[in-house]
Amino acid sequence: MFKYLVRRLIRSGFTILGVTFVTFISLHLAGDPTLLYVSQHASANEIAETKAKLGFDRPILEQYTRFLGGMLRGDLGNSLAARAPALPLVLDRLPATIELTFFAMILATVISIPIGIYAAIHRGKASDGGIMLLAIIGQSMPSFWLGIMLILFVGLSLRLLPISGQVPIIKPILEGNINEAIQNLPDAFLHLIMPAFTVAVFSISRNARLVRSAMLEVLTQDYVVTARSKGLSERTIIIRHAFRNALVPVITVLGLEFGFLLGGVVITETVFSWPGVGRLLFNSINQRDIPVVLAAVLLFEFLFIGLIFALDILYVYLDPRIRLD
Amino acid sequence: MNNKVNLPVRGLLFLLIILFTLPLVVVNAQDKPDQDTIVIAIDSDPATLEPAQVSTRAGANILSHVFLQLYEVGQADGSLVPYLAKDYSISEDGLETTFTINEGVMCEDGSEMTAEDVAYSIKRVADPANGFSGNSNFDLEASGYVDVKAVDKYKVTVTFKAPQDDKLRRGLLSEMYMHCKGPYEKMTLEEASQKPSGNGPYRVMEWVKDDHVTLERVDSFPLRKGNFKYIVWKVIPESSTRAAELIAGNVDLISNVTAEQIKPLNDSGVATVQIVNGTNRFYVGFSQVPGLPFSDTPGGKAILDAKVRVALQYAVDPIAICENILGVTCERMTGMVNKPNDNPDLKPYPYDPAKAEELLDAAGYPKDANGVRFELTLQARKRSGPGGSDVAQAIAQYLSDVGVKTEVQFLENAEFINQITNHQAGPLFLLSTGGSVWSAQYDMADFPAPKATTNYIEYSNPEYFKLWDSLPFAKTAEESRAIELKMEEIFYNDPPWLMLYQGPEVWGVSNRVDYQVRPDGQTIVYATKLK
Repeated sequence: MFKYLVRRLIRSGFTILGVTFVTFISLHLAGDPTLLYVSQHASANEIAETKAKLGFDRPILEQYTRFLGGMLRGDLGNSLAARAPALPLVLDRLPATIELTFFAMILATVISIPIGIYAAIHRGKASDGGIMLLAIIGQSMPSFWLGIMLILFVGLSLRLLPISGQVPIIKPILEGNINEAIQNLPDAFLHLIMPAFTVAVFSISRNARLVRSAMLEVLTQDYVVTARSKGLSERTIIIRHAFRNALVPVITVLGLEFGFLLGGVVITETVFSWPGVGRLLFNSINQRDIPVVLAAVLLFEFLFIGLIFALDILYVYLDPRIRLD
Repeated sequence: MNNKVNLPVRGLLFLLIILFTLPLVVVNAQDKPDQDTIVIAIDSDPATLEPAQVSTRAGANILSHVFLQLYEVGQADGSLVPYLAKDYSISEDGLETTFTINEGVMCEDGSEMTAEDVAYSIKRVADPANGFSGNSNFDLEASGYVDVKAVDKYKVTVTFKAPQDDKLRRGLLSEMYMHCKGPYEKMTLEEASQKPSGNGPYRVMEWVKDDHVTLERVDSFPLRKGNFKYIVWKVIPESSTRAAELIAGNVDLISNVTAEQIKPLNDSGVATVQIVNGTNRFYVGFSQVPGLPFSDTPGGKAILDAKVRVALQYAVDPIAICENILGVTCERMTGMVNKPNDNPDLKPYPYDPAKAEELLDAAGYPKDANGVRFELTLQARKRSGPGGSDVAQAIAQYLSDVGVKTEVQFLENAEFINQITNHQAGPLFLLSTGGSVWSAQYDMADFPAPKATTNYIEYSNPEYFKLWDSLPFAKTAEESRAIELKMEEIFYNDPPWLMLYQGPEVWGVSNRVDYQVRPDGQTIVYATKLK
């Protein structure tokens, strides 16, 4: 296990280098960003001075090396738009994105697993067909459109849920205001439902289909037949024998799902005015706010790598046959 | 078999329904603003609340309530109304303007606002060590600023390189936010960008990034009293969401209402759409920059000919574009100067494709066997609104209809801006630049010199620039106005732009409040009240 962890850490280091390199180069290939740091009437001298001050006059590889040095010190430069350090700006938005992604993941899990199991044990029946049809619709529906429809129907026509905005939970906790976080919970929950559902609907559909097919495969295995012949109840067979074994491929997808959902929140955060990293990243790309884009990409990368790491370890506990070494 | 297994599944679904509906019973799903609060939806976060670094409309609107400006632009006629400054005088040589400021204005730290603070604010913007690059830097550079000093406690004198039109100069300086030396000397630049210390009728109570900014009224502010105790600027980037929030009664003002939202909003019974001619000037730039990849193409060469540029004015129908794409009525511009300062003798080019063809033939650009005279590329951005992709497609079609085969090239926003500011965009590009209602010369400042940064197309008509250079030396307002009118005429006859329209300001206003939309898009709500 220890060897495996070391190996993974080294590999993760290379992944981080690769992603930052590609992001850094592509952002700089889009043109000289110096003009975004000076006023419209800046003279050629002022532009040259600013360029030198920001280090944009240095060879690109040297700039990248300096960026890596800064990264190791936790200094990713100052945001062009906010005139403040980039990393804290991104970290400030992270709790909102984590709340949305985490809640979407919970939704995707608690909805897709039961309906996947339900469809599997009712294979070939109308309910199975209906669930699979809904799953296909869910996978093909653009999240942007779904978000707007939810706003118009649930938010505007029925007035059941807030149309936009966020009420924080994690942030007050991090600031030590536990009471505020508790007070916020009901309101925060209401604000989360529509955006989280919008983010999760693709995953719910895909995972329901995945759970269904995994369950169908497991239900025909010898050990399930043996369990039935031993007279175990169908409920025990499904939940304790079949489902546990069907869970390994599902966990793989659910783990990767977090990364997928993180990427998917950009549009949803915009539609529902959710103050998260996705929206900041989108705006920063538009403004070519290079330090913020790099900080956000780096943060997503760390989160994703950390998650994959955690998943690998989880496999061992779910399936003792898996050996990480 | 199924009955036994269904039980936990059904139970789980039931639990989910309970979980989702329980909070609905506990809290109100939607919070409407109370009588003390006005809520304004904005499409982007201000990013910084540094008074010396404002470069977005959202930031300017918020800071206009928190910091004082020397003069304010009047709502109706674009006049400059005294605010922090109560009076001013100009030296005989026109190189110095002395402002007398109001007494009794207090800074947030409890000290009194003095001439020293005004001088500090201007110097702070001008100091290259601070690295500011917002609107205030433009204002200082455009005004020809040299130095500033406090003469006494309430008098401050600003020195300039050369004489300039008085209203233009005061207007430029009045776009700057005056802040107090005491708190800002103690703050780092980072702190100053995040925690403004104001002196205006409101103070920043809370700023949740990308979510909202709440301002609270300063009851002791001596110059005016806001009607609402709280002003909330709520960030809602998506226009459909803004419209939904307005109809739901959760916000009072929304900007950038799209064509398809106008009718539903007007029919909602809770809001009304207000449309006014804005100050953003929309146009297609004809690049005259030499040495670019397109400069030697037949199309690139053709648009260097003023006769071609005039002919193309007749080929496009901006009024139809406004009505059919933007869903509003607008007037075609005659130049770069907004109403009411434009030249009244100039009539907008009419839409007359036959005349366009006739003029192009006469200019020596006949159609070939395929009906094409020459080809052009129109650069634009993928976006909605008056400078958006639909408008670009329509213009390209109009030009193609008279034999100028035009292809639209959509660029990513940052790349588009990069090409514009580097004078590399073209041969045609669809753009808008901010103008004013208070000064013709402010609008003309897009073209201060053939190679100026803001002269994106490198317009170089010698007669035009000779007149521009003579403007500071005009002895009277009448003389100055005569030069302006002549310059507008030159611009009209040798157009560097394909003139479109003053971008319409289309706002949704809640029926709960009495608010009049301003042409410059500024959202100044201290005087707004409930109906």
